[in-house]
Amino acid sequence: MKNAEAAPLSGLEPLESAIDAQIRSNQIDVPMLPEVAGRVVRLTQDPKSDAMQLAKLIQSDQILAGHVMRVANSALYSPNATLISLQQAIARLGMKLISEIALAASINSSLFNAPGFESHIQYEIRYSLLAGLWAKEIARACRRNVEAAFLTGLLHDIGRPVATQTIISVAKDIKFTIDKRSLISLEDKYQRAIGVKVVEQWEMPQIVIEVVRHFDDYQNAGDAIKPTMIARAGAEFADHFMCEQGQEGCLTRDQLVVQPVLADLDLYQDEILEILEKEPAVQSAMEALQA
Amino acid sequence: MSQTISFDLLVIGSGPAGQKAAVEAARNGASVALIEKTRELGGACVQRGTIPSKTLRENALRVKNMRMNAQIANFKLAEDMELATLINRLSEVLEAHDNYMRKQLQRSGVELIHGRATFVNEREIQVENVSGTKQLYRSQHILIATGSHPRKPDDIPIDHEHLFDSDSILSMLYLPKSLTVLGGGVIASEYASIFQALGVKVTMIDKYPRPLGFLDDDLTDTFISGFHHMGGTWKGNTKITRCFWNGIDAVVTECDDGSVISSDKLLCAAGRVANVKELHIENAGLQLNQRGLISVDDQLQTDVAGIYAAGDVIGPPSLASASMEQGRRAACNALQIETGNMHNTIPAGIYSIPELSSVGLSETQAREKYGDIFVGTARFDEIARGQISGIQNGLLKIVCAKDGKTILGVMIVGEGATELIHIGQMALLNQCSVDFFVETIFNFPTLAEAYRAAALEIIHARKLRA
Repeated sequence: MKNAEAAPLSGLEPLESAIDAQIRSNQIDVPMLPEVAGRVVRLTQDPKSDAMQLAKLIQSDQILAGHVMRVANSALYSPNATLISLQQAIARLGMKLISEIALAASINSSLFNAPGFESHIQYEIRYSLLAGLWAKEIARACRRNVEAAFLTGLLHDIGRPVATQTIISVAKDIKFTIDKRSLISLEDKYQRAIGVKVVEQWEMPQIVIEVVRHFDDYQNAGDAIKPTMIARAGAEFADHFMCEQGQEGCLTRDQLVVQPVLADLDLYQDEILEILEKEPAVQSAMEALQA
Repeated sequence: MSQTISFDLLVIGSGPAGQKAAVEAARNGASVALIEKTRELGGACVQRGTIPSKTLRENALRVKNMRMNAQIANFKLAEDMELATLINRLSEVLEAHDNYMRKQLQRSGVELIHGRATFVNEREIQVENVSGTKQLYRSQHILIATGSHPRKPDDIPIDHEHLFDSDSILSMLYLPKSLTVLGGGVIASEYASIFQALGVKVTMIDKYPRPLGFLDDDLTDTFISGFHHMGGTWKGNTKITRCFWNGIDAVVTECDDGSVISSDKLLCAAGRVANVKELHIENAGLQLNQRGLISVDDQLQTDVAGIYAAGDVIGPPSLASASMEQGRRAACNALQIETGNMHNTIPAGIYSIPELSSVGLSETQAREKYGDIFVGTARFDEIARGQISGIQNGLLKIVCAKDGKTILGVMIVGEGATELIHIGQMALLNQCSVDFFVETIFNFPTLAEAYRAAALEIIHARKLRA
């Protein structure tokens, strides 16, 4: 995500050295992914698992079960029917989609403790969700891995809210008053290293870890170059669609189609415009996931 | 758009045909531009087909062998195996290949242009790069070598997530538990047997009674029995009535015999279609033939003088090896460079498990053409090397003319077939008598010894008939 406000600032040295020390000593407070969400992701990757097991697992978390049912019953997924049981919902939507819904629901602002910056974190989470949905469409167009695209798109910037939380916590510890501009600048600086620690600690698939690690430098992602490019492209699309009028630093349509990562994926301009036509479907999925 | 740039030869596509054409022409002093749509060189053959699938095949064979040698190591493949792990070293292989091709083109002085080509007229090509910038190129000689892409039947909802085509099948994240393969051609047979060897439960469905129908029945029987032995299911004479992702956990395939097959994933291998959509060949006065391909004469020239075509875009044999030679010859023909004889005896190699390969006429073709012929067969389980190496599911067949001497064709099924076939090919091209295989001393024990065994069968039959 591009932050127009982010720029190197002076006077932050004490805070930076404290954050550096925390990262070096591996003392970042990585939020616990709700246990049930982690198990949902692992279960859907287990070839021996079945829909019954998934329903039981989601039922064990009332909030998650409620969210999954709300999404399953949204206009996007069930235009003509009312689903009354989780198993029915899984039967209708499929295990893969249910796991995406469960993970998207689990990564919400309540995971993070950042008083005063809740709306900033909420924005980042919305942005990541949109990046995941667009990454799927881009992967489909490129005939690359569609299965991993949502997860990598969703989690590519997971270091940001954790970085924000860390910065606020460290600032409080050393009694440093931080303004939003400085916070965003530091978030930009530390989020990648922190993001890698988060996905490692959450035991995400290796491909997700590699994408997060190389997101800013996909040319050096080795075997993960294509998934990283797709997640990056998903993020560029999210940058465009999260753009609000008058906002600085966001991508216009014309700027989006000439993004280097799209050219590196060999997407020609008419092909990019074809992907952009998926906007209504992606927006509907976005609304449904945020139901 | 800036001024038109002229070359002696414009080649569209950097696959096996385009690349060889460009290098051959440049080495003979012509100014050549090679236009490639994608950043990577090599076309589908290198990037999505031949090299990735053969890399997977190598690992599938290792897995199969480890399972066969259960007494030596109690081997079990992890159930959630990432597919990328099974196509390991692919990026290194592709990068090395890309580097090699780039260096070769650079050394030869070929100008490489990254962009999408469109005919403006029969002598001019417009190239649009990924940023949308356009440039005109002109030449008296243009070679279309744009290759092919998988055919997408209207009734198969390929989403590249649950239902794949042969270009996207290797993008799967995990090795599936089960796979349905639609089709019975080369690509279907290769992937079906490779995935089955990896322990995936594969069901292969086709409307024809046998896969690889262009080969003799005894060869395809051996392939099917090997496939069954590994645990695969072949359903011939079966048409698909419906195919869909059930939204839950499986791809459902309904067949006209009432059977329903559920699988984790599905591969649709329903042939390939020429890549011509973006070329606008009509601007050059060209049109596709009834099979959706570009027609060429024996000089590989299209209906428009000066425009040549080679490789998959002109249709069978659709082999990388044949495409390379077609590309080279098309360039030579265009620029009036001496080509040498082009032999029609191109070997076909099918990298299934087990491998299949053939050169010349099959037994069926030879009987249709000549009626009375001689056939000699050697089974690999009767050859010492076959017993030693555990390569027993295989056979080698020599087809001879009525005189019992003239070799008409050789067909092999079994591991090593694609290498072994070249002995037969050389004998065929040099018009050797079948006796040559008996008079020649082969290493012992080798699978090549099968040539001797099959030839002896023909010689005995010939003597009996005399």
